Amino acid sequence: MMAIFRKIAEEVPCTVEVSHRFESLHAHVRFNNGAVVYPGDEVLVHGAPILAAYGELIIEDRQATITRASWLERQWTRATGDFGFMELCEFSFSDEVTL
Amino acid sequence: MNATPKGLDADYAELAAAQPQDTQAMATETTLLNPRFYTTDFDEMDRVDVTPVRKEWDALLAEMKADPNKGHFKKTVDWTEWDANWDGMEPKLKREFIDFLVSSCTAEFSGCVLYKEMKRRGSNPDICELFSYMSRDEARHAGFINDALREAGVAVNLGFLTKAKKYTYFRPKFIYYATYLSEKIGYARYITIYRHLEANPDQRFHPIFKWFREWCNDEFRHGEAFALLMRTDPKLTNSFANKLWIRFFLTAVYSTMFVRDHQRPEFHKALGVDIEWYDQEVFRKTSTIARQVFPLEIDIDHKRWLPNLRRMRDAFGQMDAGKRKGGIGGWFSHKLGVVKAASAFVALYTIPVIKRDPPKDVRLEPIY
Repeated sequence: MMAIFRKIAEEVPCTVEVSHRFESLHAHVRFNNGAVVYPGDEVLVHGAPILAAYGELIIEDRQATITRASWLERQWTRATGDFGFMELCEFSFSDEVTL
Repeated sequence: MNATPKGLDADYAELAAAQPQDTQAMATETTLLNPRFYTTDFDEMDRVDVTPVRKEWDALLAEMKADPNKGHFKKTVDWTEWDANWDGMEPKLKREFIDFLVSSCTAEFSGCVLYKEMKRRGSNPDICELFSYMSRDEARHAGFINDALREAGVAVNLGFLTKAKKYTYFRPKFIYYATYLSEKIGYARYITIYRHLEANPDQRFHPIFKWFREWCNDEFRHGEAFALLMRTDPKLTNSFANKLWIRFFLTAVYSTMFVRDHQRPEFHKALGVDIEWYDQEVFRKTSTIARQVFPLEIDIDHKRWLPNLRRMRDAFGQMDAGKRKGGIGGWFSHKLGVVKAASAFVALYTIPVIKRDPPKDVRLEPIY
């Protein structure tokens, strides 16, 4: 049940895959119980940072907490999330303007 | 308001320079990749029906499946024989070039995360197949750039997974507009640099530029897929509101590119490229390509175009200077910059557009 302001957290098992290899640089999280993430939800994968050294592929089972967004937050994310699209461009902003 | 996601969402994908934490890393510097995570309306994506463009769709997907660039991203003698080196690079140029590589890597990586998510959550086989190929390409590109960064002594840290990540939201149609544009403009940027360096090989200060031609064909193909997707529903490009959105995306993407490129003067100087010339050239190519699907084009030769892009660039400079200065004076200076940037954006957005009539056949080949 969704609350207007309240947030609800749930624990889910997940599999993380981090590839730090020449042929592929990627990192993904999959929820093993089929949990679905909605706009504004927050996901925290527990445990130590997964630091794949160069050439390494790490696949690990972990626990994650999904903190469900409140109704209000979900609406806000739906309304404003689109503006983050710029990061898909190769010239998107990094932290510093003057290099 | 304008192009930058900054301020709209504190969680925007940044590349925060982090202290090295990984003892295995040989690198002297660590860059934390911090992409966004996305959701969209997956039910809507599942309802997409490519029947109206089935023939072109199948041909394109077959091309992607054949993976023509599979053997391209290998370091050949062209790479290993690079006689210059990172240590010999002028420090300012090195800094800007690394920034260029890092933001390229982030864009590829973000694309990979987005496409993978689409593939995983969708149930429409056409869409899932497309996104699996695109995710593969982006991860491969990111790996290639990452290797160049590694040689420069910059290690990419993928530890972001264990940090709290908020999932943001893209409407499907915005995914189409934004990714279509980012793929096509990516193509135009890479091929323009490639052709320029082909004519001026002495300015090729790093071997990675030699890979840009085949590389950008991946971007081109990805763009083609989105062009076809937009063709499945005429409303996506023809309704009044959507035309305004297309105009918004074009203005935002073009002006961001202009601002960002001007932040890398040494990089462009080393390439022997005049930034305004280069940007206009990229806009021209992108706009020409986009006639395949967009019913309008930004008038980049309009007398208000370049002057307002320059105002936008200066406003961003002021915003940044204000932030660095801090205090009340800095705060006001920053806010004034925001107002100036917004007014420049409005001036750009309201330039009358050129109407176009997209052709019946949507598919294009990379010809530049």
